[in-house]
Amino acid sequence: MIDYKKKLATLSIEIKSIFSGHPIAIAGLIGFIVFVLTALLAPWIAPQNPYDLMILDIMDGLLPPLSKLGNGTTSWLGTDALGRDILSAVMYGLRLSLFVAFVAVSIGTTIGVFLGLLAATKGGWVESVIMRAVDLKVSFPGILLALMLLAVFGTGVDKIIYALIIGVWASKARLTRSSALSEMQKEYIDAAKISGIPNWRIMLKFLLPNSIAPVLVMVPMALSGAIGAEATLSFLGVGVPITEPSLGLLIANGNDYLLSGKWWISIFPGVVLVSLVLCINVVADRIREHNNPYLKSMDKQ
Amino acid sequence: MNNIPLLKINNLTVTYPLNSEGSDVLKALDNISLNVNSGQIIGIVGESGAGKSTIGKAILGLLDPPAKIVSGEITLTDTAMIGLSESQYESFRGNQIGYIYQNPMTALNPVLKIGEQVIEAILANTAMTGKEAYNYAIQLLERADVSFAKDRLQKYPHQLSGGLCQRIVFAIAIAAKPKLIIADEPTTALDVTVQSSVLQTLIKLSQEEDIAIILITHDIGVVSETCDYVYVLRNGKHIEQGETVQVLEKPTQEYTRSLMASVPLIEKRLHRFALPNEDKMEGMTSHLGYLEEERKENLYLNKTILKVTNISKIFYTSSTLFKRKEAFKAVKNVSFSVNRGETVGIVGESGSGKSTIGRMILGLEDITEGSIIYNGRDLKSITSPEDRLAHCLSIQCIFQDPYSSLNPRMTAGENITYGLKVHKLIDSKNAKSLAQDLMTLVGLQRHDADKLPHAFSGGERQRIGIARALGYRPDFIFCDEPTSALDVSVQANLLNLLKDLQEQFSLTLLFVSHDLAVIRQMCDQVIVMKDGEALENGSNDSIFEHPKHLYTKSLLKAMPKFKGIAKQVGFNDSK
Amino acid sequence: MINFILKRLWHSGILAITMSLIVFFGMYVVGDPVEMLSDDEFTEQDKIDLAIELGLDKPLYEQYFTFTGDMLQGDFGTSFVYNRPVLDLIIERLPATLEISLLAMVIGLSIGIPLGIFSGIKNNSRASKIISFFTTVGYSTPNFWQAIILIMVFAVFLQWLPASGRGLTNSMFGVEWSLLSIDGLRHMALPAVNLAIYKICMQQRLAKSGTQEILYQEYMTYARAKGISRYRIIRRHLLRNILIPIVTITGLEVGGLIAFSTVTESIFSWPGIGKLLLDSIHMIDRPVVVAYLILITLMFVFINFVVDVMYAILDPRIRHQK
Repeated sequence: MIDYKKKLATLSIEIKSIFSGHPIAIAGLIGFIVFVLTALLAPWIAPQNPYDLMILDIMDGLLPPLSKLGNGTTSWLGTDALGRDILSAVMYGLRLSLFVAFVAVSIGTTIGVFLGLLAATKGGWVESVIMRAVDLKVSFPGILLALMLLAVFGTGVDKIIYALIIGVWASKARLTRSSALSEMQKEYIDAAKISGIPNWRIMLKFLLPNSIAPVLVMVPMALSGAIGAEATLSFLGVGVPITEPSLGLLIANGNDYLLSGKWWISIFPGVVLVSLVLCINVVADRIREHNNPYLKSMDKQ
Repeated sequence: MNNIPLLKINNLTVTYPLNSEGSDVLKALDNISLNVNSGQIIGIVGESGAGKSTIGKAILGLLDPPAKIVSGEITLTDTAMIGLSESQYESFRGNQIGYIYQNPMTALNPVLKIGEQVIEAILANTAMTGKEAYNYAIQLLERADVSFAKDRLQKYPHQLSGGLCQRIVFAIAIAAKPKLIIADEPTTALDVTVQSSVLQTLIKLSQEEDIAIILITHDIGVVSETCDYVYVLRNGKHIEQGETVQVLEKPTQEYTRSLMASVPLIEKRLHRFALPNEDKMEGMTSHLGYLEEERKENLYLNKTILKVTNISKIFYTSSTLFKRKEAFKAVKNVSFSVNRGETVGIVGESGSGKSTIGRMILGLEDITEGSIIYNGRDLKSITSPEDRLAHCLSIQCIFQDPYSSLNPRMTAGENITYGLKVHKLIDSKNAKSLAQDLMTLVGLQRHDADKLPHAFSGGERQRIGIARALGYRPDFIFCDEPTSALDVSVQANLLNLLKDLQEQFSLTLLFVSHDLAVIRQMCDQVIVMKDGEALENGSNDSIFEHPKHLYTKSLLKAMPKFKGIAKQVGFNDSK
Repeated sequence: MINFILKRLWHSGILAITMSLIVFFGMYVVGDPVEMLSDDEFTEQDKIDLAIELGLDKPLYEQYFTFTGDMLQGDFGTSFVYNRPVLDLIIERLPATLEISLLAMVIGLSIGIPLGIFSGIKNNSRASKIISFFTTVGYSTPNFWQAIILIMVFAVFLQWLPASGRGLTNSMFGVEWSLLSIDGLRHMALPAVNLAIYKICMQQRLAKSGTQEILYQEYMTYARAKGISRYRIIRRHLLRNILIPIVTITGLEVGGLIAFSTVTESIFSWPGIGKLLLDSIHMIDRPVVVAYLILITLMFVFINFVVDVMYAILDPRIRHQK
């Protein structure tokens, strides 16, 4: 519909107003887009498939950056002990890390928003149960909780996604509830009620679009947090399986070789990991600053 | 003595940058000049955006960046006050010039005791030390009519009422016997009955110490009662100045005249506000038929549209392990009835339960006791979805806060017709043109239907709210302080619109307000409420001219008197 | 105030009970404790005996009471790997964790908060922007990666500081502390800094946003209008209000420190409870994991309680809430 185009236009203006005049944030955004594209296109642009153990040659093991491999190609970033090309491994690792974080944050946020709305609109014992669960979760550091869960239920890509979801949902539920509660005080909700508009419509058309903004603002932060948490867990050996290394696991693999001077195995995935999280965080900071009512009023006065 | 002004402002211009480069600026103050003589009370009057508060802040060097003084002079006796360093300003603030904020609850630091906040001001601005300052603080509070002064020093701001906090702010302002006090809307955040006594305290204190006051306010009544001299501002520009009586009763400028005509009077009821250049409604539109069609059958119904009998509302706090359930009676045994086509007003201060009654009628709150009979049917007997819908459509509401009464994510048009579409009262194809017609009806532009609420001003948003209510073809509209958040000229326009619409669609209005003058202008019957009880109930004239209840009398007495522009009699006289 | 404390205690109690239920169901009902406790040499009959010994034939609620009863008496079972009571193991290693956590905390608070307040007040200054940029980088760098870099730089290339172990310890109150010897302190330096960097960044960001929020409150302008000196405004009006969010966050971050000490301890081979936990997870030493979980939960419940009380002490609005 025409509305759609208009909304897109509004969105692009909004994005412009967030980023214009903030070169660091723009750099972060561009960096993030490059990382996402690399991750998406990894199977097509990576020199080799690091998961395919058949094509690895142990003779290529532990070669420094810019070495020639047995099959005549150049390994730009060197190889690991199995002869795996680090550049390819980093691309695939990035792909996995981003995938895990994206899935966990989207599911976690959806669950959180839903529970938050439910708590705000239902009240009573439903609200009590949800909010006590949130308290329980929030009072416990996410990384420790994930560690425990993975210790009990074992490791794997799916398990780590569950563990991260559990880390994400609670703060989103709390935020949604408080924002929905303050929206419910507003008179347009009363206006909808007295006009006999059904509750589910009020929830979807009135409450949801107006209370979700503070949650969306926090999503980039949650994403970088999830990437960091996944990397940490994988580094500790309780995250993704050894056959599908994420960035964290690649760093752990190279960690043993660091002291013997084979720095490239750890350093490259580490640099990519830090830059990725940094890019997201500067963007997240900018978005938060832009949405901060105190700073905003200063902007506009 | 009057030869040298105490404070002299010359051609002051203050700007806010509108973009990051600073090429586009908003002139918050544009070439403003002003004199204050010692001991004088001058008023600065204007509507929102006039730049009133900016003057006060500019004098004390309190403008927040990016606001900037671009040109002009401010002189206090013989000291130039512009471009001083922060520490130079410190020696003037509190010491030579006191400052009073609109809302004492946000001006006082919530985590520090009252005592500390009073005493730190004394210590900063006088030569007193510890014990002396403490005794002086008690003395100051007593002079500002704060009872139990000694105990109050041990309290935190949230433990005291707004009126008391404002008196404490007064005490702080006079602590160092300054020559001038800048009072920025000092009574706006307070209830009417508190307002007048708080204002009297301020005047008394300033007279005792011979302190001049700059009173910044939007309230013409307050100005007419207190100020010697008035400046009228609009959008940062100087409009008119002169002796209070002169400016208020014989304004020379067009804007001042319309501003004065907009002030609702308490003394007599006018048919409409006599606004000089009021936007007239455009002619008939295509959907007007839709709006008037069902109205005819209602004419055969009985005369009393709403009968409220002994209703009460009790709110309960939820019980916890350590506290029993607590009951709060918001409405106590109130009865009244409303005749078709009439406007009934409920007047009362905050917490009087006036809005709660409306919410019960609308079905937003349950009725604890008593009955509400609307159109011959007890609200409690309305259970089937069809009946409830019919009830919903017959009673609509115009809300108080224009900034929260529209869904910010829907366009004006969608806000107006969303419910109609949900109930299939109109199909999607016609919805937009109906929305446009309704917007024309309430004095807005047709093509603005596609804009989101934030693109409209407060008054315009209220009009959208009215359009939304009218779309349901209601018989009865509950108006919950519909103009309390608006500027007085906007209010007058909106009240005129309501009167016109009422006539055109023979609407019945239940009008709730804290503003006696608005009630006086709008209502046929008036109910006076306090603490959940209906104290008095009668016709407009009987309540305002022969009030029986003591509280009504005190309310009327507390109202600032403003007689309106001279020579108004004879044109647009009372009904 | 007493009412408030009672109410908070009540909440804490509920939290502790709920947590014990979750652990009980997670570990003893969903997982099979016989499988957890038995090793390869167990026969089927041994397993049945063990089940009866553990009371698994009894009704669930009775099992739960036995479980919590044992815990309350300090009986957390015996470690498979060390073959010693779990509680002893944990208590033995607790001081090591406490000392680096506390050291990191002190470093974090004493650097992070002043930096944050400074960059909040001077928001647009170059210094503030540089500080904020560095803390964003620090905040964005995962803990374990910082640890690797620290080891590479200070232990491998510069060889200034040792990269693992506790070094010499001295005894105080019958407990061994690294804090009390130069060698111990040298060993503590890298892990403590590793933990502290994140703290500094976190506290700087929080203190900065807290400062800015408060700076725009009307009472700050009013305090200036009263003629109060800038110094006093910062000391009384600003700091007093910023303390509220900072205390809350600090309390919660004590938990974060303990959590991240697992990572730091395992990289620096620091023999604290964090390393014990990770080792136990890798060696499937379930009783240790369970005990750790329970004790940490209790600790968090306690910290939350303290934070709530502190909150009420600092904020009169909460204290007077009925």
